[in-house]
Amino acid sequence: MAKVYFSTWRGESINNIDKASDQWEESAYKLPETYNAQSDSKAFIGWDGVALFDADVDVIRLASEYAAQYQIYSEACGRCAPGRWGGRILYDMLDKIARGEGAMSDLDHIKEIAKSMSLTSKCEIGKTVPTPIIDLIEHFEADFLECINKQQQSKHYTSEDTTYTAKITAPCTDACPAHVDIPAYIEGVRDLKLDESLAATRQTMPLAHVCGRVCPHPCEDECRRTNLDSPISIMELKRVGADYETDHGLGFFHPHKQKKPTGKKVAIIGGGPAGLTTAYYLALDGIECDVYEELPVLGGEVAVGVPEYRMPIDKYNQDIESVRDLGVNFIMNTKVSADMMRQFETDYDATMIASGTRLSKKVRCANERPEIEGYWGAIEMLDQVNLFDKYGIGESVDLTGKTIVCVGGGFTSMDVVRCSIRANAKKVIMIYRRDEKTIIRNTTYEEYHEAVEEGVEFIFHSAVNEMKDEKDVLKSLIIDKFELVPDPDGGRAQLVKIEGASFEIDVDFLIPAVSQSAELSHLPEEWELDMTSWGTIKTDGKHYVTSRDGIFASGDCEYGPMTIVNAVGQAKRGASVISRYVQDGKLSLTDDEIMEDHLRKMRVYDKKETVTGWMKGVERQKSEVLGVEERKTNNKEVNFGFTQEQAIAESERCMRCYYIAMVAH
Amino acid sequence: MSKQINFTIDGRSVECQSGESILDVARREGFYIPTMCYLAKATPNASCRMCVVEVEGVDGLVLSCNTPAIEGASITTESDILYKERQNIMKLYNVNHPLQCGVCDKSGECDLQNKTTEFDLAEQTFATQEQKRKKKKWGVLSYDPYLCIMCEKCTSVCNEVVGSEALYIKPGGYKSVIDNHFGDCIQCGECISVCPVGAMASSDFKYNSNAWELQKVPSACAHCSSACNLEYEVKHSGIDSSGSSEIYRVTNEDDFDSLCGAGRFGYDYENRVAIKDEKAFNSAVEAFKNADTIKFNSMITNEEALILQRLKDKNGYRLVNEEARNYQNFMNSYSSVSGTSLYSGDLQAIKDSDYVITLGSSVSRDNPMIRFALATAVNINRANVAYLHPIEDYKLENLVTQFIRYEVGSEEGVMAMLLEAFASDEAKEEQKAFFSELDMGYISGESNVNEDEIKNLKSKMLRKKSPVIVIGADVMAHPSSSNIAKMVALLEKSSEFKVVIIPTNTNTLGVSMICDLDSEEGSSVVGYNVHAATTLCALGDGDLDMPALNQQEGTFTSIDKRVVPLNAALPHAGYELNDIAIALGVESEETINYTSELPTSKGFKSVEFDSLENYYTNGGEAIRGYLLDNKKIKTKKADEAISNITELEDYNGSVIYSVDHISQFNTFTNKTHQIIDKANLIGSEQFAMAAKIKGGQKVKFMFNGKEITRVFNLDSHLKGTVARHSTFDLHDSTSSGKYRYTKVQIQEEGN
Repeated sequence: MAKVYFSTWRGESINNIDKASDQWEESAYKLPETYNAQSDSKAFIGWDGVALFDADVDVIRLASEYAAQYQIYSEACGRCAPGRWGGRILYDMLDKIARGEGAMSDLDHIKEIAKSMSLTSKCEIGKTVPTPIIDLIEHFEADFLECINKQQQSKHYTSEDTTYTAKITAPCTDACPAHVDIPAYIEGVRDLKLDESLAATRQTMPLAHVCGRVCPHPCEDECRRTNLDSPISIMELKRVGADYETDHGLGFFHPHKQKKPTGKKVAIIGGGPAGLTTAYYLALDGIECDVYEELPVLGGEVAVGVPEYRMPIDKYNQDIESVRDLGVNFIMNTKVSADMMRQFETDYDATMIASGTRLSKKVRCANERPEIEGYWGAIEMLDQVNLFDKYGIGESVDLTGKTIVCVGGGFTSMDVVRCSIRANAKKVIMIYRRDEKTIIRNTTYEEYHEAVEEGVEFIFHSAVNEMKDEKDVLKSLIIDKFELVPDPDGGRAQLVKIEGASFEIDVDFLIPAVSQSAELSHLPEEWELDMTSWGTIKTDGKHYVTSRDGIFASGDCEYGPMTIVNAVGQAKRGASVISRYVQDGKLSLTDDEIMEDHLRKMRVYDKKETVTGWMKGVERQKSEVLGVEERKTNNKEVNFGFTQEQAIAESERCMRCYYIAMVAH
Repeated sequence: MSKQINFTIDGRSVECQSGESILDVARREGFYIPTMCYLAKATPNASCRMCVVEVEGVDGLVLSCNTPAIEGASITTESDILYKERQNIMKLYNVNHPLQCGVCDKSGECDLQNKTTEFDLAEQTFATQEQKRKKKKWGVLSYDPYLCIMCEKCTSVCNEVVGSEALYIKPGGYKSVIDNHFGDCIQCGECISVCPVGAMASSDFKYNSNAWELQKVPSACAHCSSACNLEYEVKHSGIDSSGSSEIYRVTNEDDFDSLCGAGRFGYDYENRVAIKDEKAFNSAVEAFKNADTIKFNSMITNEEALILQRLKDKNGYRLVNEEARNYQNFMNSYSSVSGTSLYSGDLQAIKDSDYVITLGSSVSRDNPMIRFALATAVNINRANVAYLHPIEDYKLENLVTQFIRYEVGSEEGVMAMLLEAFASDEAKEEQKAFFSELDMGYISGESNVNEDEIKNLKSKMLRKKSPVIVIGADVMAHPSSSNIAKMVALLEKSSEFKVVIIPTNTNTLGVSMICDLDSEEGSSVVGYNVHAATTLCALGDGDLDMPALNQQEGTFTSIDKRVVPLNAALPHAGYELNDIAIALGVESEETINYTSELPTSKGFKSVEFDSLENYYTNGGEAIRGYLLDNKKIKTKKADEAISNITELEDYNGSVIYSVDHISQFNTFTNKTHQIIDKANLIGSEQFAMAAKIKGGQKVKFMFNGKEITRVFNLDSHLKGTVARHSTFDLHDSTSSGKYRYTKVQIQEEGN
């Protein structure tokens, strides 16, 4: 809810002109009323309308500045005839009117070119730039006419007291926690410039191989193509550029040239996605990075958690090598202690904690004692599987003849059950409290169905009641069954235990994969870092600084067990903040980051919007996967990835929904 | 992907395969949809937005070039609103477009000019401020950004079709321009040919002629075995027939097909003679009467080859052409195992492939169309391309996925490693004697190809569907070429691989099918385009002048196993081979009368020259001449056996590799004024050190029995002890038929 003077945002029509400000009708949207702590916003103008927060806004200048942004930012576009010339004409005409040289015919030409742009431009940016401009011309016609008729400058034409800050965004980019420039990497595929595609990804996402394979792709939930038929297969298209780099062995495509050494040093605790990301962007900015890793291998949970058949290690290593390529130091087999942390404060200019969540939580059943043989934490189990399968470290996991029960419902539990199948288990059961639909929503459709195909038995609406052992050796489990009972008052349905439906099963292993918690023994107690109620490190969620100056945190140890892309997004932002912090000791955000946060709050994606100008029903491409018999006994990568033909076809479904958002403040 | 789709365009129902764009189907079916940026041979740029159409039930306008047809869709290609929007786009294209049509090269064949007229733009309602941009000259091409409409056709071809990735868009909205990573540019001129306006122009043709004054002569390029379709554009100067004609430029069907730099710029190699030199003719006939051997190269037409064969039949000449004989022998050995007269692949097979191995060819120089085909394979099918050769080709860096370097001379062993890796178990059983004797350790040691490299190569075959192996000229003159040919045939027979055996010279395939070639010269030799006691020559320096290939009618047999017609772009006032034949009693009025007499036993068809077709359909299919029949060959068990690998000859010390520059193919291209590469020796630091020479120095060495002086150029990209030696200026190199690697003693000139 924002207090506005005037708004046409998303089709609303709020006009508080001539009303006393306490009578103002509010906008239904979370528009950026205040730009940041230092300045209030005067206006917000974007692809779907315009909102004024202040009666004194120079609407003509606002319109022409918006058109100007299209010229400034047209690196993102400017690649079609209507956009390239039309955008320029819009700007030239508006500026002509604003400086007091306009003619009536200019308004007609603006309207005509606006219509052509909105009908025929290549990207949404060209289609939507005219929208708020036309809104302004319609609603504030008198202001325009006055400038034209009197041949005078618009009211603040020469004033410098307003800053116009713009940002290019897209629904998918906005939805992605790492804010990857998705339309750009898809355009790279469509242009068959796969190196450019990868470079676009790496601007905000160094782990292109990983997030081209095992990302839960929240972007696809906010893909505008969904409004038309089905979302673009965004994740799989990312892999195309990454595979190209590997296939051709052409060195690494970094998003920009590494800056000269600044003489600053940062310690990073943990070599997983968040740690690698922090190191990557700091190193690009010329900051020396030491990454401390407890395990003998790099990559964090993606290396020792995610199995080979989903995320081949030689591909992940390519992402890791791209980080090493920038001169990052990795200090392996080193568990950071509180003493080391204290020392880091003097040795380094800043510290990033990215140590993840590597403690398996309990399932909370009776007799749940870790010392019982057969009770095996998911993290420990996957560590052993992956260290052996990927690196030949330790012993292989052989479950021949064994019955395994895993309690979970998320990605980790899927990895546990599918690895158990590959370890030749006799029987693999997943116990899940909720239903099939929910498990698919929490993982992916493919993941669930592939597990079923491979022979995993899912028992829904169930939970472990008790572990039964004989002399500390697990023998069986008592499983309770539940049913969903609708709330008669219309509230959320409740899970209610079905009395008498409980049963016992003989098992060899119970693997809890319900969640993980952070192991934070390395934090010096006297620092008294603020913690969240669920035991993770608390930051301000913007700069990712902890309650202690110079100590930052990102990834799962900050957020709790979440996705890879979430860790990358946090770490990327943290690295950006740190790279300024080590220079000036201040916590700051760039305009781009401020806008990023505003836009995320507003949401770029509008699921109610009607898409025009695109053919409905062009099928989403599906990549081939290994047949179940060919895959369930080994670690071969299950997903083939797109053929080039599929990749091109899928990239052509992308509607390039770039938008410009601009705040006058 | 391929499901049948039915939909309607302007009320007429049409059919296509799923995945085909509306525009492609419309064009094939004869519906007109205007475009400015669409290039059929590349993926859509979608920049001009002219091809928008209306679709029933869809709000707004839909782009037809990159929207696949959907079952049941109803498409409208013409309406008032479409006309209006297309007209507006043309208005935009014309904003600030310089009004210099009077002196623009493109005038008369300019898409902008044509569509401005088509959309009836009498006035301009839009205006904007012009931005400053810089004109550029990049060798054969000149770029004028003021004329550029940013359709992106040039960057598309450069990236997708040529695979150079030299041209790129320097973005900046209205200020966007095209720029060039000039070091990657191979000067093929594809960008010039596809430019719809005058922005990307030929530096040479600029300001030279109006397009409409040029007469187009469709023909085939004479510089390599791809024999690409081209049109010589000719202008007659003077007021009567006494004036002279000149080729001003070469163009082609650029929407569908390509040309390399040699084809596009190396056209003025005609042999100009004023009159018939009767005296020279008579003494040439006399020489033929006294001769027992005709020595020639493969830069001749099928018809001329047949004339030579008829002369042999009648007068018993020995026909000597070592290069073609090597190829012929190779093909005979190949056929003895494959049971077919011709190899299975062609350029299209390479384009369609997702897994290509090239062995023994510097493809970007030997046959540029293979390089172009690789670019398509890599870009469109994400092909794995393995380049097996002693010298890495950095011009292919972005196309090749695996370079496997082998020692000079070890081609037979390398082929055996490939066969071991890819042949089926049945094939291995069939050739048990060979496979059981195969000592991979020894071969790997001698060839310096690690067994892991082959393992890696094989691992890339996973999930690939259409592999092709390309065999090049290096192996034709190899001492074990016959055995290599059998291995190639066995690979083809016992795996999914298609095979392309590159004909070494323009019409090597034709000559090898038509002529019965001899190995030894006799005592009295007449040469045709090859130096001998008496020489008939199209280069102008022989005893009797002959017409060059741009002055002749006839046919070539191309790498695609296709017989394609060539027409005379320029007249030839002198004698031709047929005149000699007539004088020697082999009579036929015109050379092209032989077209229908080409040997059907070898797969030729008895089709009259004038009945050969040479055009493209709306859908882009080339209808050119005809395909040779692939004849069944009876195989004999005894011939089929592959011999054991022979011990390898050592190639230590300084070794030079006969290979020419991109675009500079032979003595004919060397005559043309736009192709200016100099003959030289190019080697690595390592080569220079071993030979004790420096970059820029003049050096001399013995080559094919003659002392040769060359400038030595250092190339920091090169590695190893094999240098590249150009031979395009050496008269007889095209027919020498020698193994392409030569051990040499290099000395500084003056020592």
